[in-house]
Amino acid sequence: MSNQIGTLLRLEFKNKYGTYNVKNTKSWLKSAMYLVLIAGAITGIYFVAEIFFEMFDRAGMVYEALVILFTAVFIFLTFTGVSSTSKALYFKGDNEILMRFPVKSQDVFVSKTLFLIISQLILTVSILSPFLVAYGRVTEANIGYYWRIPAAIIFSVFIPFLLSNLLAIPGMQFTNRIRNKFALIIVILSIVMIGFFGAYMAVFDKMVTFLKNTEFSVFSPEVVDILKDVCLYLIPTKYFADILVMNNIYLAYPALIGLFGFSLIGTILVIVKLYQKTLLGNIEVEGSAFKKVTKNRERPVYISLIHKEFLEIFRSVNYSFQYFVLASAMPLMVYFCNSITLQLGKNEIGEQITLGITLLVMLIFSTIITSFSATSVSREGNNFYHTKIIPVPVEKQLFVKFSMYFLVSFIANLLCVAVILFTKQMSVSMAFSIFGMVQAIAVAMTLFSMKTDIKRPYFNLSGEGEIVNNNINTSSSIGFGLAVALVEGITGMILGYMVGADLALYVCAGIAAFLFIVAILTYTHKLKKQYNNIGN
Amino acid sequence: MLEIEHLYKKYRNSERFSVEDLNLVLQPGEIFGFLGQNGAGKSTTIKCLTGIYPFNSGTIKICGHDIQKDPINAKLNMGYVPDNHSVYEKLTGREYVNFLADVYRVNKRDRNERFDKYVHQFKLAHAVDSQIKSYSHGMKQKISIIGALIHNPKLWVLDEPMMGLDHQSMIEILKRMHDHCLDGNTVFFSSHNLDLVSKVCDRVTIIKDGVQQATIDLHVKGNKETLENTFVKITATEQDMINATTDDIFGMGR
Repeated sequence: MSNQIGTLLRLEFKNKYGTYNVKNTKSWLKSAMYLVLIAGAITGIYFVAEIFFEMFDRAGMVYEALVILFTAVFIFLTFTGVSSTSKALYFKGDNEILMRFPVKSQDVFVSKTLFLIISQLILTVSILSPFLVAYGRVTEANIGYYWRIPAAIIFSVFIPFLLSNLLAIPGMQFTNRIRNKFALIIVILSIVMIGFFGAYMAVFDKMVTFLKNTEFSVFSPEVVDILKDVCLYLIPTKYFADILVMNNIYLAYPALIGLFGFSLIGTILVIVKLYQKTLLGNIEVEGSAFKKVTKNRERPVYISLIHKEFLEIFRSVNYSFQYFVLASAMPLMVYFCNSITLQLGKNEIGEQITLGITLLVMLIFSTIITSFSATSVSREGNNFYHTKIIPVPVEKQLFVKFSMYFLVSFIANLLCVAVILFTKQMSVSMAFSIFGMVQAIAVAMTLFSMKTDIKRPYFNLSGEGEIVNNNINTSSSIGFGLAVALVEGITGMILGYMVGADLALYVCAGIAAFLFIVAILTYTHKLKKQYNNIGN
Repeated sequence: MLEIEHLYKKYRNSERFSVEDLNLVLQPGEIFGFLGQNGAGKSTTIKCLTGIYPFNSGTIKICGHDIQKDPINAKLNMGYVPDNHSVYEKLTGREYVNFLADVYRVNKRDRNERFDKYVHQFKLAHAVDSQIKSYSHGMKQKISIIGALIHNPKLWVLDEPMMGLDHQSMIEILKRMHDHCLDGNTVFFSSHNLDLVSKVCDRVTIIKDGVQQATIDLHVKGNKETLENTFVKITATEQDMINATTDDIFGMGR
C-alpha cells in the first residue's frame, strides 16, 4: 500500500470516527456502550433468525430459506453499495478538496474503496453471521459448515461491492437525470418505503402465526412449490448457499470466482478509464440547478412563509424523506401491527391490549415524523439572519414551522384512524380517542423538539447546505419520543389487560394531556428571549 | 434616519465589550461609511442595528422606530445585505425576491416595477428563474441586494458589500447606492477599502476595539485626501508604532 493510500485511508477513518480517543475515558465508555448495544442486537438477530429457519424447516424449505436470505442480502448490499459508492467516491465534498492536491485519482479511489469494503465487511458479518449460525443449529450442521461461513461471507461482501462499483456510474447518471424531479423521487421513495414495511410485516405476520403453533407449516403447498421453483433460478445468489451446504460445489465455486474476477476487472477498468473523468464531471453537476420560469406573485405573509418552507423541504430529497416519506408508511404499519396483535390473542389478550399497541406504534411513528422539527432552526444555517431581519414577529415565523409539522402528523394520524375504522379493528369512539391522544402528544413532541433547537441550534450544514447527519437535538427528540411511546403503550397494554380498556384510556389520555400542557408552557416560556439570543 | 445612542454590546461568553458607547446619527440622503480593522466591532454594530443581535444597553432608532420596542416598523424601513452572501439557495432568484417582497408587504405593481428595474440594472435577467445555488459569488451578492431593495427601504445597510466582487459589479453596486441616496434615502455600509470609502461617502466613522474614534465629514476640504493617514494613525497598535519606528531607523540607516 502506498503512503498516500494509507494517509487517505486514515483520513477517511478520522472523518468518520474522529471523535473517539483511546486515551479518553468518556470515549472508552461510549465505545463500551456501543459494543454492548451491538452484542445485544446480534443476539436479537440470532433469535429472530432461529424462528425464521425453523418456520421454513417445518415446511421442508430450509435450504430455500438460506437462498432467500442470500438473495435479500445480495440485493440489499448491491443497491446500498451503489448508493454509498456514489456518495463516497463521486459526491463527497472532500473530492473537490483532494483534487487540488498532488494526489493520484487512483489512490483516492483505492483508499475510499478500502474504507467502504471494511465498513461493509463489519456490517455484513454482524448481520449475516447470526443468521448462518442459526441455520447451522436448526439443521444440526457439522463442523465443516461453520468453517465455510467465512468464505460465504467474503463472497457476499466482495461480489456485490465490486458490482456496485460497476453500477455506480450509470446509477449516478440516472440520479443526475432525475435529481431535480423532486415529486417523482418522493413518490418512488414512498412506494419503496411502503413496500419495504409491507414485506417486513408480511414476514413478521407469518412468524407470529408460526409461533402460535409450531407444529404446522404456515405455508400452503402451492406457496412451497412456487418458492422451491423460484429458488432454483436465483442465480448467482443460490451459489452462496450452495458453497455453504456443499451442494453443486463444482458449479458454485467456479461461478462465484468467475463473477468475482469479472467484477474485479470491471472495477479496475473503471478506475483507470472513468474515475477521474466522472469525478470532474460530477463536481460540475453538483453545482447545477434547475430553471423554473414563473411570474412575480403576491402572497399573504403567512402563506409566503409556509410556501418558502415547503420549497426548502421538497427541493431536498433528504429533507422530504424525513418530513414526508416516513409519514406515508405510518397507516400501513398501524394496520399491520393491530391486525397481528388481534390475531395473536383473538381469544386471549389481543383485544384488551390493542389500545396500548396502537398507541405504541402510532407514537413511535409520530416521534420519527416530529423529530424533523428538532432541526427547525438549525436547518436555516447561514440564512438564519433572515429570520431576524424580516419584519415578521418571531412567534409567527415559528408558528409557520409548527404548522408544517402539525399538518403532516395530523394527516398521518387521521389516515391511521381511517384505516383502523375501515378495517373494523376498533370502535369509533376508541379510534377517535386514540387520535386525540396521539395528536396531543405529537403537538407536545413538536413543541419540545422546536424549543430544544431554539435553545441550542447546530448550524453545521454540509454539501448543498443541508443537515446530513442527525445532530444531538434530533437524537434527544427521538429518545424522548420513544420513551413517551413506551410509557403510553405499556401503560395502555397493562391497564387494558388488568382493569379494562376504559380506565386504560383515561390514564393514557391523562398522560397525553399532561404532556400537552407542559409542552405549551415550556415552549412559550422565554421563547422570544431565547430566540433573540441565538448566535449571541 | 438612523440614531444610535450609547450602544453597548458584549457577547455572552466574552469579558469585554465588543461595542462600547457608540453614538451615531445618519441624515437622509447621505452615504455613511463605517471603518475599522478586522474585529473592530463593525459587523457587531450592524448586527445590533438590524435586529440580529440583542445588545446590553443604549437605543437604536430607525426612522424613529426603536429596534427593540417597535422592531416590526423599524425593520420595515430597513434593507440589509450581509457580508457572507447567504441567500436561500434552493429557491430561484425570483422566488427569493418575491418571498422578501411578501414579508415586506410590497404591492404587486411596485414589486414588478422594482424587480424589472434592478434585474436589468444588475444584469441578472438571464438568471432570475434559475436556482440560486447555480449563481456565482457576485450573482448571489446581487440577488441579495435586489432582495434588500425590493421594498425601497429608507435605510440600506450593507456589511462589506464589495468583498470578492469584480470591478464591474462594484461599479453597479456603487451606482445603486448613489441613486438610492438621491431619492432621499440613507446608505450605511462597512468596508476595509479606504479608497472606495473616500470616493463615495459623505461621512465616515472609524471604530477601534469597539470604541468610536472619530467621525469625519468628507466634504470638509482636505479630509478626503488625509483619510488614509487618519485611519492608520487611529487604528495603529502600539506594536505597529514600534515596528514603524524600527523601520524608520533601519530606513535611515540604509
